[in-house]
Amino acid sequence: MSTRNSEKEAAGQLLDNLYLDMFHLVEEHTQCRVNLEQSNASGAILLARTRFQHGGSHCVSTAQIPTENSAEFNALCRVVDSTDGISIERQKVDKSKGFVEPLHWFSVLPPMSLRNAVSKFKDCIELVAESTNLQRQLGEALDWITNLRRSAVLN
Amino acid sequence: MALHSAIKGKLISVIGDEDTCVGFLLGGVGEINKNRHPNFMVVDKNTAVSELEDCFKRFLKRDDIDIILINQNCAELIRHVIDAHTSPVPAVLEIPSKDHPYDASKDSILRRARGMFNPEDLVR
Repeated sequence: MSTRNSEKEAAGQLLDNLYLDMFHLVEEHTQCRVNLEQSNASGAILLARTRFQHGGSHCVSTAQIPTENSAEFNALCRVVDSTDGISIERQKVDKSKGFVEPLHWFSVLPPMSLRNAVSKFKDCIELVAESTNLQRQLGEALDWITNLRRSAVLN
Repeated sequence: MALHSAIKGKLISVIGDEDTCVGFLLGGVGEINKNRHPNFMVVDKNTAVSELEDCFKRFLKRDDIDIILINQNCAELIRHVIDAHTSPVPAVLEIPSKDHPYDASKDSILRRARGMFNPEDLVR
């Protein structure tokens, strides 16, 4: 009987710790999304400024980005998974290997505002990696909580 | 052409409005593979929900994609598909767009976390 009680107490403590972890992760996750929103909004404002300064809405639009009919090319940044979570790895621009400079889709001589927008969106990509790690940790914590609550020890 | 053969890592795909797609593509996430399949989709007011859903499911099936970024307003249109995806890979991240700020109460993972306390919230 006492063994069962101590098991129940240990499971209860573990559940408390998992809930605490969950709260911390929810807080970090939300903060990360807010930062992502701020970076994204700054980038969007800089895109709008580029459009305003350089000939209306068509100078930076989906009309310039590649479609299914365009030549194949590789992503400059990729996600690398490791034991510490995911991270972003960037490749250098090398046309012969298929790594093209996205800025050149829009302009041969990109204005400063467009370059600044690129830097904001690169920040967004780093925040995406951070947010993904937090989301995965949160998902794991939620799985643990669900399993523990369903287990016979607590019932 | 074997441009993609020896590249380490996986892709980030994007489903969103014009500014979100243009922005992330400028950041360098865009790719068109040898089958001419892009890893992005621009959603506008004329895009059908079925088209959005098909694209999302296609990205889920691709083994070279690790993260799917989707604007939260687009995610709302296909919420049942997003909620059904519980696997950690590919991770689905709901991101804010220029016109729709981030709403934590709509985010799938945060709704799941809230459901740990109040299961009725999951129904809403």
